[in-house]
Amino acid sequence: MEQITEEERKSILESSPVGTFALMATVVGGMVFAWLFLYYGVFLPRG
Amino acid sequence: MNNAAEKKLALSHLWVAFAAFIVACFMGEYQVLERSGLFPSLESPTVYFASVSTHGVLMAFVLTTFFIMGFGYYIASTSLKQPVWNKPLAWGGFWLALFGVVLAAVPLLSGKASVLYTFYPPIVAHAAFYIGATLLVVGSWVWCAIMLVMFSQWKKANPGQNVPLAMFATAANALLWLWASAGVALEVLFQLIPFSLGWIDTIDPGLAKTLFAWTLHPIVYFWLIPTYTAFYVFVPKQAGGFLFSDEMARLAFVVLVVFALPIGFHHLYMDPEQAKGWKLLHGVGTFVVALPTLVTGFTVIASLEIAGRLRGGKGLFGWIGTLPWTNPMVLAVILALLMLIFGGFGGIVNASYAMNAMIHNTAWVPGHFHLIFAGTTVIMYLAVAYYLWPILVGKPLFSNSMALVQLWTWFIGMSVLTTPWHVLGLLGQPRRISTVVYNNLLTLSWKPYELMMILGGLILLGSACLFIYNLAKTQLTPLVGEFTAEIEYAEPIHAVGVLPEYLNDLKLWNKVIAILMAISFGYPILQFFFMKTFGSSVWGY
Repeated sequence: MEQITEEERKSILESSPVGTFALMATVVGGMVFAWLFLYYGVFLPRG
Repeated sequence: MNNAAEKKLALSHLWVAFAAFIVACFMGEYQVLERSGLFPSLESPTVYFASVSTHGVLMAFVLTTFFIMGFGYYIASTSLKQPVWNKPLAWGGFWLALFGVVLAAVPLLSGKASVLYTFYPPIVAHAAFYIGATLLVVGSWVWCAIMLVMFSQWKKANPGQNVPLAMFATAANALLWLWASAGVALEVLFQLIPFSLGWIDTIDPGLAKTLFAWTLHPIVYFWLIPTYTAFYVFVPKQAGGFLFSDEMARLAFVVLVVFALPIGFHHLYMDPEQAKGWKLLHGVGTFVVALPTLVTGFTVIASLEIAGRLRGGKGLFGWIGTLPWTNPMVLAVILALLMLIFGGFGGIVNASYAMNAMIHNTAWVPGHFHLIFAGTTVIMYLAVAYYLWPILVGKPLFSNSMALVQLWTWFIGMSVLTTPWHVLGLLGQPRRISTVVYNNLLTLSWKPYELMMILGGLILLGSACLFIYNLAKTQLTPLVGEFTAEIEYAEPIHAVGVLPEYLNDLKLWNKVIAILMAISFGYPILQFFFMKTFGSSVWGY
């Protein structure tokens, strides 16, 4: 575990969770894609 | 604070929960073996359905209810820093619920209650099953009452102060369960018990399924809220960071409790007793209740990101590697969230009004609920147990590395079990069948997936045995030297000011629930009393 300075600590606590935004966007995007694939690729072709 | 009595109360509940869990795991493995058709000596529809019914009841009702009660008592006592209110009553609820379980177990194990855990009529079980299940629920109502009394007493004694988040969530869950269980209570008291005792000759399955749908969705959130509570109040601290937002957590719990209730008709999309407009209304509500899960996912991951960065993680995703993966709670939340992504996707497909037709009553459905319940929910129950056991028994965890292996194998086993289950659903395998041996091309294509499920079940069974062994060894191994451990709740990044009452009390939300339930279930239930039932009253009397 890397030691961080007090200044870095303060900056981390005040910063936006950009990694979380990126992960959430990926997950939601993946879910939308998977849903569309299932709807158009599996459900509708079955008639 | 000397809370030895609370520890004993919590520990007793948790042992009942995990005893039910391990028995149900053995049954689960038997079921995948039997259904595969590869072991003719095991094949018996009678034993299979008795086993499936017992497995479902033990996992869905006994593990959950006792875990939630034990966890709740300890959360209430430690977060409010006061003893559990009316401990004799709490023990009364415990013994009543346990007696109910034993009473229900007799017909379950003797094949006289092979009605599955949803016990839909017109199939009927021995009356002892319904009476036992009722006593279990009444025992849980005792817990609800104690949680709400403690919540209310604390607020009166601490005016203007914020109820601790852990207690807010626990009280919200108690309120949710009181509302949720009312539907099944009406069904059991007025339909199933009289029918099973022969007091009435007929029963209306449409009304019964409507009342069960009242309970069937919010019960999932009753099971899930302790998991989300652990996400919010334990995980950030265990990861070495802070909770991203206390207010967002409260908002998520409020929306969960309010919108988990009026949406049960997505279980009835293919049923004829409710009109499509009502189903659409409940379907829309089902998507609304996905929002607090997204909020929870965001808040928990953001809390982990802060912890990872405080531990030296850099870059967009570099913080993931610096998280303390050897902490069982942190490992469990990562695995739980992974399973929640895939289980949540399955749930969205279930809730999609049109697409539901493709997977309705197929193997997809148990695949989905095993991933969400036995995956996301139960893995956090296991992690909470690893966290609480040393505190409750006053001894260090027997083996942290065994706990990590156990959590990984639970995740791997659940993935190996549920992935083929979903595929089987898409291949058209019905759920709730005891055999798949029809020897045509369709059922032969199911074979490889059945084999994978056997492997998944075996991994899970081994994992469950490791879990019980670790807990038992923790408790039974003599203590060498001194050991003290206290429960630690996560702090939010920013101190929480005085919260508005809607994020610090449940009275307003109770009224909102009453209105929403009247709208979404009022007419759909009343209609049964207006329509002609051809020689029988709606209750069947």
